[in-house]
Amino acid sequence: MIITDTTSSDSDGSSSLALSGRFDAHEADGFRAAVDPLVEAGTSSIDVGLSDVEFIDSTALAELVRLMKRCREIGGDLRLRAPSDPVRVILELTRLDAAFEIV
Amino acid sequence: MTDSSLDAYRTWASEPLQERPRYSVVIPAYNEEWRIVPTIGAIATEMSRLGQPWEMIIADDGSTDTTVELVKDLDLANLQLLVAEQNGGKGSAVRRGMLRARGDIVLFADADQSTPIEQFGELEAKINEGYDVVVGSRAAEGAEVENKSFVRKVFSGGLNLIVRHVFRIPVADTQCGFKMFTADAADRLFRRQLIDEFSFDLEVLYLARKFDMRTAEVPVRWIDAPGSKVEAGKVALEFLRDLAIIRWNDLRGRYKSDNHDLPEPQLAATGL
Repeated sequence: MIITDTTSSDSDGSSSLALSGRFDAHEADGFRAAVDPLVEAGTSSIDVGLSDVEFIDSTALAELVRLMKRCREIGGDLRLRAPSDPVRVILELTRLDAAFEIV
Repeated sequence: MTDSSLDAYRTWASEPLQERPRYSVVIPAYNEEWRIVPTIGAIATEMSRLGQPWEMIIADDGSTDTTVELVKDLDLANLQLLVAEQNGGKGSAVRRGMLRARGDIVLFADADQSTPIEQFGELEAKINEGYDVVVGSRAAEGAEVENKSFVRKVFSGGLNLIVRHVFRIPVADTQCGFKMFTADAADRLFRRQLIDEFSFDLEVLYLARKFDMRTAEVPVRWIDAPGSKVEAGKVALEFLRDLAIIRWNDLRGRYKSDNHDLPEPQLAATGL
């Protein structure tokens, strides 16, 4: 998985990043290493682009849930942007589409 | 998401086929509660996008976790769930699925999505060229292998040498869980298959050579999925034992006729 297009906005405490490739358990540590510093620095709203993610497994879904909870704990939220076909279907089948804000 | 692709998936998920499927995808599953739903989602999306009638068969292998309940709850119209009352080995689960399949072309794929389903078309192209059996291969030139452990590389390399030179099976990777068959080939091979464990692939490919079926190998991208149930050392010993068993079975004439009829599932939980 490649994490690209990371942008931060100090003024409103938001950040966005885009993922590409396969997001699975092998990539969970790298994802956590990229997003945890954002939350620790006070970023409460994170926008994760998923349009180029070809597959997401349960470990990666758990990482997104973990990040969503952390964002909400500090008054923000996690948004999933433009999930690819398979990611959208996987979110629906796991019923996580109702838990996340998907734009 | 493209509307047409989404529509194709929604139709597949909600409307039972009124015709014979062009494709069947068989997924053996033993205690796959952590992996099975994302795998079903990825495969359903890609296969629906192809625009041909198709079915999915989940061949449970006596799971003791919530795999069966999870799959049932999906309530997908063209997913057939075959439930086994007890664990019989991956080979037994694949056989039940393959003999239940109705498609003209039948793929079995591991539940961990280690060989991404997007490579379906590359194997199908070989079937369309006239091959009976097409094997996804991590050893063929052009394959991409990610995260495979050193131990697994050593074992698989050594075993492949034996397979090719002693048993003259013309395939460099017999064990990749991504293999495609014509309906006729699947029926003939899996009705004769006797090995229920990990080495069933080897037996099937041995039989394909014995029956002069055309077999092709296609390089695939393969990613070692975390949580693999394969224990390389134990499997290598079983593999060597099963090579001898296959040869012995053949000498005794046990592959001359069918060894299995169409299995009746204990429970057809969803769809079809």
